[in-house]
Amino acid sequence: MKSFVTHEELARDSRFVRQDNVLATMLSQLPDDAEAVVQCFEQLDPMVARAVSGTAAEPLYDEYGAAFMLIVLNEALDPEDPAIATRLLMRMHGIFIGELQALEGAGRSLWDFPDAPWEFKMNMARQCWDEARHVQIYEKLLERLGGSPGMFPETTFLFECACNDDPAMRVAGVNRGLEGLACDVFRDMIRYADKVGDEVMRQAVDYVLADELTHVRFGSEWVREFTKGDPERYERVQDFRRQVDKQFSFGGSRSERDDAAIPIARAERREAGFSDEEIDELATLSASGPSRETMREAARIIRERHSARRLAASQQMEPRA
Amino acid sequence: MSTATRLYPGHGPDERTSFEPYSAFDIPEDLRELHGRYDVEATARRIRNFRYTHEWMTMVMGGWIATIPEIPVKTGLGKIIWETAQAADVLGRRLPELRAGRNVATASQPPNDRYAALIQEIAAPDSPEQTIEKLAGIFDVLAPHLIEIYEQTMRATDQICDAPTIELLDEIVRRLRHHVAWSKDVLDRLADTDARRERRRARIEQVRGLLLESRGVTGELDGSPAHH
Repeated sequence: MKSFVTHEELARDSRFVRQDNVLATMLSQLPDDAEAVVQCFEQLDPMVARAVSGTAAEPLYDEYGAAFMLIVLNEALDPEDPAIATRLLMRMHGIFIGELQALEGAGRSLWDFPDAPWEFKMNMARQCWDEARHVQIYEKLLERLGGSPGMFPETTFLFECACNDDPAMRVAGVNRGLEGLACDVFRDMIRYADKVGDEVMRQAVDYVLADELTHVRFGSEWVREFTKGDPERYERVQDFRRQVDKQFSFGGSRSERDDAAIPIARAERREAGFSDEEIDELATLSASGPSRETMREAARIIRERHSARRLAASQQMEPRA
Repeated sequence: MSTATRLYPGHGPDERTSFEPYSAFDIPEDLRELHGRYDVEATARRIRNFRYTHEWMTMVMGGWIATIPEIPVKTGLGKIIWETAQAADVLGRRLPELRAGRNVATASQPPNDRYAALIQEIAAPDSPEQTIEKLAGIFDVLAPHLIEIYEQTMRATDQICDAPTIELLDEIVRRLRHHVAWSKDVLDRLADTDARRERRRARIEQVRGLLLESRGVTGELDGSPAHH
């Protein structure tokens, strides 16, 4: 078996389709300017159309154009939202996919770094079991909501961003970047479950969140261990973690801004071993990017243009009198 | 001498207590004898061999998860990886108790180069189309071989002196049996055509042949095939 696989090589059954990871990268670089956001999504429109074809996201694309992704990412989960059922499914499916890739990332860390200390392998082996249970838990939660694995396109950018070939960067990316994001998202899901009185979801996600804290702790400890006595390498690893955190902030959707869809879970991050300095830094670097108002304005324009294009296309197809 | 019943022995023969005498093996009756096929050094060597296998199984199955398209196989392996790592860990912790060093990182040792090559061959399939070959190598051949050797070790080692080894192998065997049963269910489902059943059979034959050539996990197989 070869060492190091790319995100394109992650094995999936026939239910899954991939979405190009360029979208996630572009999202992390968008300015707070509606026209720039519109241009970006217009450019990506053919790719989004191809990715959603035949999936549960296709009706959303038909109605909103590529802007449906802005709405899903940028708006907090609100039980009163008329589209809450679909948005919840997309969130749950995204988490399911994240857990799957976290399982694969932890597993690859066992194979890719054969000379790593035994305690590292023990931690990664434990993480494999935890992530495997998380995949099962989120498949169950997804099914409770009427969803199923593969119903939406899969973005593999979590694996792509986090699975570096250097073990210190791997644990910084997977265990601190990806699992840190999980802490933020799961705290938000628990808030939502509390709001709607879904005790099954609340309890399940609460258990998963407890596991994630352990995984972040693994990451914090192994970054320290792998970079011990090498301040330059430590700085490179921190830079990599900042880059991953920026990408995982989805243009400010995960941040401490008042309009953030997913707030940073400060208490959980602190308990998991993030320093206050690191959390403050995350708050700063995730805060840049389009505001919710900008995203809403961009979504409105994209939807209008999408509808206009659809109308023009259908008129062209009608037989002339 | 005091006329009261003695609860503790004194210094003279007439100062004994009156408690009934029993051997260490009387209650409940214990027929174990002080006899074992392996001395301390031989047991330590065998445990280094066992640990080598479990450490590599942990790594190999970890690497496979990303290459396997069947989600229940990915998640099933997740639990097995953790239990296999725990097995390697407890084996490593036994070594200092056998005067065999305290550094668990160097506690793994293959019995010979052919066995090390066998493990690499078991790890070799990495295509998404090879779930059958992956699982058959480990769970149809290697794990049953380990169960056989561990059970033989438990029977042959000194039942009293080496009881800690017996206890830990007993738990490892219990879990290995679960792993083999899980894989049997999965492979029976995946190998559902004659062509797929043939792939499974061919892989078993190939890996079993290499296992016999290497003379197994301890390098001591007598050459007779391991039947499971």
